[in-house]
Order: sequence, then C-alpha cells, then structure tokens
Amino acid sequence: MENMIYVENLRKEFKKIIKEPGLKGSFKALFKPHREIVTAVDGISFEVRKGEILGFIGPNGAGKSTVIKMLTGILTPTSGVCRINGKIPQDDRKNYVREIGVVFGQRTQLWWDLALRETYAVLKEIYEVPDDRYHQRMAFLNEVLELDSFITSPVRTLSLGQRMRADIAASLLHSPKVLFLDEPTIGLDVVVKENIRSAIRKINEEEGTTVILTTHDLSDIELLCERIVMIDKGRKVFDGGLSKLKGEFGQMRTFSFELQNAEDIRKLGYHDHFKLSDDDLSLSVSGKSVSVKFNTDKVKVEDIISYTLSSVHIKDMEIRDVEIEEIIKRLYKREVSV
Amino acid sequence: MLRYLRLHRIFISQYLKRLMEYKTDFLLGAIGLLIAQALGVLFLNIIFSAIPALEGYTFEEVLFIYGFSLIPKSLDHLFFDNLWMVGYSIIRKGDFDKYLTRPINSLYYVIVERFCVDAFGEMLTCVLLLIYSVPKLSLPFYWYTIPLLLVVIVFATMIYTSLKIITSAISFWTKASGHITHMLYMTNDFAKYPVTIYNKAVQAVITYVIPFAFTAYFPASYFLTGRDPLFCIGGTVVAGTALFLLAVFVWNRGLKAYESAGS
Repeated sequence: MENMIYVENLRKEFKKIIKEPGLKGSFKALFKPHREIVTAVDGISFEVRKGEILGFIGPNGAGKSTVIKMLTGILTPTSGVCRINGKIPQDDRKNYVREIGVVFGQRTQLWWDLALRETYAVLKEIYEVPDDRYHQRMAFLNEVLELDSFITSPVRTLSLGQRMRADIAASLLHSPKVLFLDEPTIGLDVVVKENIRSAIRKINEEEGTTVILTTHDLSDIELLCERIVMIDKGRKVFDGGLSKLKGEFGQMRTFSFELQNAEDIRKLGYHDHFKLSDDDLSLSVSGKSVSVKFNTDKVKVEDIISYTLSSVHIKDMEIRDVEIEEIIKRLYKREVSV
Repeated sequence: MLRYLRLHRIFISQYLKRLMEYKTDFLLGAIGLLIAQALGVLFLNIIFSAIPALEGYTFEEVLFIYGFSLIPKSLDHLFFDNLWMVGYSIIRKGDFDKYLTRPINSLYYVIVERFCVDAFGEMLTCVLLLIYSVPKLSLPFYWYTIPLLLVVIVFATMIYTSLKIITSAISFWTKASGHITHMLYMTNDFAKYPVTIYNKAVQAVITYVIPFAFTAYFPASYFLTGRDPLFCIGGTVVAGTALFLLAVFVWNRGLKAYESAGS
C-alpha cells in the first residue's frame, strides 16, 4: 500500500531565553539575555500508510504536538522533510490544508459565541463545499456524532463532550484525506470516549481516512490503532504494532488468585524465595485477592505457580498478559530501552 | 478575489450576529460610544474656539484637515481592527494556529474576523466636521476630484493598516508587540493638524518615516488648494504601496518564525 505520510529526519529547535527566578532575574534577562537552543523534535522519521490509524504517543513534553504542528503546516521545521499525500505542508499551505482535518482537543475551533450550525455554515464557505455535498455530509456527521440535539445551541453552552464531537465534525466537513487528532478524548467520560472512538473507527472504515491520533488514554490506542509510534525527548523510541510492543517488552505476566484465608498472605514471600527486586516482581493485595506481577525473563510461570500452590490454599486463579499500559509506563520511565 | 469578498461579507455578518447575541452589552456599548463621541466633538469645539486659526490656516481649513484625517483612520478601525489582537494575545497564546489550518490567506483571515463597530463613532465625527467645514470653503472642483478622493482614501487606509500589520507581525518573533503597535499608532495624532505647525524634525518623521502626514495633511491640502498633486496625492499612493509591500513581506517572514504555544 502506498504511503500517505512520509516523515524523514524531522527536527525543530526553539530558542529559549533562560531567566533567573524572580523579578530581578526577569530584568537581568531583559538586558543580558542568556539564550539557549532547545531541541523539541530531534530527527524523527516514520511513515503512515493510506487508511491507517496511527497512535502517536509519548509522555508530556515529548514533542508530540510539535510534530503534529509541523505536519499540519503550523510550524516550519528547522530541518528535515515531511510530505503528506505528496505535498510539503509549508510549500503551499493554503492548498495543502484543504486535504487535512485538524482537531486540537485543548482548543476549540468553533465560533464560541454563535449557534453551532453557524460554524458549519462558515466552514462550508471557507472550504467551498457545494450545497448538495454539504447537506449529505452534515447528515452523515449527524448520524455518526449525534449533533442534532445541540446544533442550535451557542457553542459556549455545550458540554465538553458535545464540544469535542462538534469539533471533530467541523474537522471532517470538507472530507479530508488525513485527520489529525491531538488528544481528542481528553477530559471526557467513558461513554463519550466510546462514542468518539466509534465515530473515528467508522470514518476510517467508510471513507478510508488516514488518522494520526495523539492521546494519553491507552484504551484509545488499544481500541483504535493498528500501529503506534512512541516518542520521548524528541526522539522516536518505538515504531510498530501493538503485538510487537507486547512481544518485545511484554515479559511481564500477572498471576492473580484468591486466598481461602486472608491471613495466609503472610506465608508468601516471593521476593525472598526467588531473590527478585521490586522491578521484577510486585505484589498487590486487597482482602483475599492477590495479584503478582513478574518478569518471565527472571522467573518461570510454573515456578511461581508451584511455589504459590505449595505454600497456600487458593480458590480462583488466572494468568494474564501484561497490559499495554504497564509496558508504556515502563517505557516512559525508561526502564525498558529499545 | 471574489471568494474573498464573499467570505468577508460572511465574517461581518457572523460578527454582527455575535454582537446581537449579547444584547445588554451591545446596547450599553452603543450608548457609551455615543456619549464618548459627543464629548469628543464638544472637546474639539473648545480647542478650536480657543485657536481660531493656525499658521495661516483658517478655522474651517483646520476643521477640514481634521475631518479628512478621520476618513482613513475610521475605515482602518472599522475593517482591520483585529490586528491589535495579533500583537496583544493571538500569537502569544498560540491561538494563531487556528488561522493556519484554514485554506485562506492567514493575514486576510485574521483581519476580517472582527469588524469594529466602534469606528462608527469616528465616522460620525468625521461627517459632522466635513459637513460643517466644506460648504464654508471654496474647494477647487474638477471632474476628477471625486475619483482622486477615492484613490487617496484607499491608499491612506493602506498606510494605517500596513503599519499595524508590520508592528503586529513583530510578535511572531517577540511573542507580543501590542505596545509597539500602540506607540506607533498614537503618532497619527500629529496628522490631524497642518504639519507646518511642527518643527522640522517632527515634520520629517511623519512625512518620511511613519508617513501619517500622507493620510491627512498632504492630500487634504491638495483638495483645499489644488496645488502640488504629484507630491500630495502621488506621495500617498507611493507610501501606501511601499508600506503594504513591506507589510506582506514582514508578515510572511513572521509566519516562518511562528512558534505556537505548548499544549
């Protein structure tokens, strides 16, 4: 399949004035500024296939938004190339942005003081959507995002969940080929999150829209993305499918069981028995339920089970794969290197 | 071009709808504006009753120049006021992102988004001054006077707007430049009176550096006397064009330096 997005060695540097603390420091910086170059994005390369949903993740301040802003033509890269559908965003921004939709979860693009439908009417003119196409499109977006109940309300009166749905609809009005979603589920409740995820999936399936999604909610990733690119401190630390992530870093397993007697917990001394540190084995207990998380590189599953069974009487038991969240947490904390 | 005019109409109507959305604010604002303008006219009356003539200009001539200066100023104020916000907050807060994700020229978009009805106050003052002064002056009138007047108005407005664009665009590098715009803009007060009352240095500055003299005194004096059209009218056209080209250049360079804000 052809590539929709092609990013090579993308870099962005910002000049930053370092100030000493307090008013005095500010005055000093005014007359003798101490400049420093901060590299927000440090040579990132990746590709996205047409029709793919890519999860773009990383801890706060990793440079995600900076990359998205370069891909959407807002920022000019210091060096490197990004090409989307064969176009370089900064070369002909006005024509390029016709092909993309952008949603910044933290910032609405709707006309704050007016009824929601006014926003769509203006966007129709800005993107020159013909009348019949516009009606068809609005009907589709209405069905997917359920805008009907609040389309006549002023935007300032919408709840966050309604506003986010409205923002996503606004970004899709002109049928973009690529959709950039920067934290589209931030601050939303579970039901609205699910609603938004299914809308994204539906648009991706029905129209083949390529989606780049940044999020801190890993369920978004698990439910939507075939592939993730993870960056940290401006560099790419992982690129691949979820199964690859689990395969490479998923040595962790969780063994959960229920004790017949809650007091029996004192009989279990995993750390001492296997001589493992907290990093390789951790225990969480609540009442009779116990779960042991351990690294299969250091200790075998069967050893853990046989030790447990020989020490205490248990009821239920279960062994689970590590959750994606756990892997990512470890990556963020740089416990795992790539 | 047509598309842009059409969009402009839509943006203005959106803005008016927004004003109506908050009725009390709108009504109080309108009342406040009327009071402010009435006081302004009253104040002018006091000044001019104390100084009936200036440096060889009659009372009516001074009023004419003053009134003329308000034409480009109020037009710029009415249509291009949002530029102030660029220097004060839009860039600093990263809100400029929005203008860059739309398939229209960012400068155009940011300019037309707001429509400043406050300017109607200045227009009212302007009309009153001209209605009062013009019949009392025997202005030379030819077939080309009106077309020439329209041309001058366009280019004089461009001088105002371009200076605002340049000073606002500085914030692409400095993050905030509202005060620079303000400082420069305030020098337009010099243009309301005949420049001959100032010393040579001030005259040179408002003619060649910040050419506000071409928004009022020079073209107005041509319409008063019919003398020196090449300098008075031509100067306005040249200054307006040159500043506008410079403004577009600075703006486009600024876009490349735009750094947005963290999110």
